[in-house]
Amino acid sequence: MELINLIILVAAILLLVSIFTSLISFRIGAPLLLIFLGVGLAAGEEGIGGIAFDNTPAAFLIGSVALAIILFDSGFDTRFSSYRAAAWPALTVATLGVVITTSLVGVAARYALGLSWLEALLVGAIVSSTDAAAVFFLLRVGGITLRDRVRSTLEIESGTNDPMSIFLTISLVELIASGGTGSPWHLALLFIWQIGGGLLFGVAGGGILILTINRIRLEPGLYPVVSISLALFIFALAATLGGSGFLAVYVAGLIAGNAKLRGGQSLRRFHTGITWLSQIVMFVMLGLLATPSRFLDLFVPAALLALVLILVARPLAIWLCLAPFRFTANETTFIAWVGLRGAVSILLAIVPTLFDLPNGQLYFNIAFLIVLMSLLVQGWTIRPLAHWLKLIVPPRIGPVDRVELELPGQADYELVAYTIREHSPVVSGHRLPRWARPSLIIRDGHVQTVHSVRQLQAGDLVYLFTAPSRVALLDRLFGETRELVEDDRQFFGDLTLKADITVGALAELYGLPLSVRNARLTLADLFRQEFRDAVEVGDRLRMGAVELIARDMEDGELLTVGLALEPATPAAGFRIPVIPRPSDLIQAIKASRSRFQFRLWQRRQRRADRIARRQLEADAKKRE
Amino acid sequence: MIDLITPQSIIANLRAGSKKQALQELARKAAELTGQHERAIFDVLLERERLGTTGVGHGIAIPHGKLSNLDHVHGVFARLERPVDFDAIDDQPVDLMFLLLAPEAAGADHLKALARVSRLLRDGTMCDKLRGSDSAEAIYALLTQGEASHAA
Repeated sequence: MELINLIILVAAILLLVSIFTSLISFRIGAPLLLIFLGVGLAAGEEGIGGIAFDNTPAAFLIGSVALAIILFDSGFDTRFSSYRAAAWPALTVATLGVVITTSLVGVAARYALGLSWLEALLVGAIVSSTDAAAVFFLLRVGGITLRDRVRSTLEIESGTNDPMSIFLTISLVELIASGGTGSPWHLALLFIWQIGGGLLFGVAGGGILILTINRIRLEPGLYPVVSISLALFIFALAATLGGSGFLAVYVAGLIAGNAKLRGGQSLRRFHTGITWLSQIVMFVMLGLLATPSRFLDLFVPAALLALVLILVARPLAIWLCLAPFRFTANETTFIAWVGLRGAVSILLAIVPTLFDLPNGQLYFNIAFLIVLMSLLVQGWTIRPLAHWLKLIVPPRIGPVDRVELELPGQADYELVAYTIREHSPVVSGHRLPRWARPSLIIRDGHVQTVHSVRQLQAGDLVYLFTAPSRVALLDRLFGETRELVEDDRQFFGDLTLKADITVGALAELYGLPLSVRNARLTLADLFRQEFRDAVEVGDRLRMGAVELIARDMEDGELLTVGLALEPATPAAGFRIPVIPRPSDLIQAIKASRSRFQFRLWQRRQRRADRIARRQLEADAKKRE
Repeated sequence: MIDLITPQSIIANLRAGSKKQALQELARKAAELTGQHERAIFDVLLERERLGTTGVGHGIAIPHGKLSNLDHVHGVFARLERPVDFDAIDDQPVDLMFLLLAPEAAGADHLKALARVSRLLRDGTMCDKLRGSDSAEAIYALLTQGEASHAA
């Protein structure tokens, strides 16, 4: 009995310590997961806690459950709109990118650690998946908004590359365990079933989840429990039948999270909480599992591998995978840099030990060190890098005090409460549109009838029923107007233009070059044509000496366009892309070819001129 | 800056109650300087505002346009006594205005002048100084000296 109480006490202390040390993370901007790992290490057998924990199967079990929950929640929070913006680039990175990373790190591991080829590739596979939680936590703490396409790519990539990396790891472990015998056909079939089965179970499971929550009347408190138990059920069923359980649970979360669910907000809150718990448990446990004194011998090769991963493998994989898509050099550089490694890598590093492979501990220690270094080096530099590469979208409005309240049984309308900010448009006399009239106003703690209030004041609390799509517009009315900062000008240009003016008019006004084909288009049409209907804020188009920037959008329609008079030339300074984009190369080749053809044409013209002149002179002579 | 403005092209204390009035006053001044029709200038400016506001934020506006019979790019600077609502991008009223008029065939010069003015008025301390001085000479000195130090 005492032992049990002691275990509970220790677990609770670990949890509490982790949670409170996370406060430090907010202060110093350290990756939070690094802190959880640190707590685990400190409590471990060689730290101050002295807890000897080396039960690998238990660790893998707990870790798998935690990872399933984390992936479920990550799918639940990913909007389909992110997929619309970045599905192809992200999925390419998550599949092909993982293979490239695995191979390159594998080659490095072959020589740095002196392993056989299969074993070396296993090291590569273990560290080939990225952890988005780490990235997004850091961005959120910094209050940083990334461009939608970059954000979505990172978000989807990290949710979908785990199944790939897990598949590679397990296959390699099985190959090694069976002494390197296994037909490629067998592996290919296995892969197809893993992915196909995962997708199948995920879609079906997502549907069942939606039906269960929306159709079956339960005690309200049970819905979150139902959703998590179903998630684990989907995970385990898919995995038992040979599909990828992690893919299934992610897809199920994605489908359920994008549907209208009863009590969606409380469900989301519960998921967030349990995901935090999973993260903490997983990292603290992995920290406990490690034995730092064994790291010393491996430090040099691990550092070497981490360098190869961070500086060679990931950038190359990202560059190759993103080349066909429309990313600027800065965006590619950023995505390449923020390939943070996380819990999945350490968790996968347990697998060789579970299969009793030779050097089982080696994989764990190497992976642990690489994750530590990645969190330290990349985790700490994300925010400065995003600033430096100028990828941060300046927020369009200032702070907003908004609370959204869910109405029972109402899906189309919700109750929104705002505390009116001091420098908001409504306070400075902006007319209230009909749809923005509050239903209830509370001033100085007293309920006011809507008619008795002439003018809203700062500090008023207003309640209104509205369609969820209007909330963004309401934010603008009731929230603080934001002061322009220098970043804005760099991001959105010096001047603003309405998007419904024609390209011809603009070219005429500023003497810009223009192709006749585009003259009649409006600026909005031009952007739509260039970005294939997926225009987003911050998209830039070069037009002669100036640059046009998509500035304000509403419901996918471009409203205003910024004009940068002196766009930053990429050639200036050190901020050159590591590698040029192939489309740039093709452009350059095309340009030089057309220059060459123009010169040929000039030469032909001149020759023709000369001949004609001689002819004329000869004719004249004849006449004389 | 020296080739854009002269001490004569500065209005140190412009009185205007609205955006339209402010533009009208600037057009009048520009008409004096260039010998063009005041009405024609005003129309060009209004036409440009229709494409999107030239109020670039922080109380600054850079109205501009093209005019056929000019010999080079002309500038007029005005400091408003009281800020006027200008539909600026940050919804702040405008009290510093720099008008630019370019000849029809100005091409790159028009953009270069705009970029220079935009860069100059981006400097917060410069704008504070401009707001604090109420003589045309002082403003002229500020504008041109700023340019010299920028070039250095």
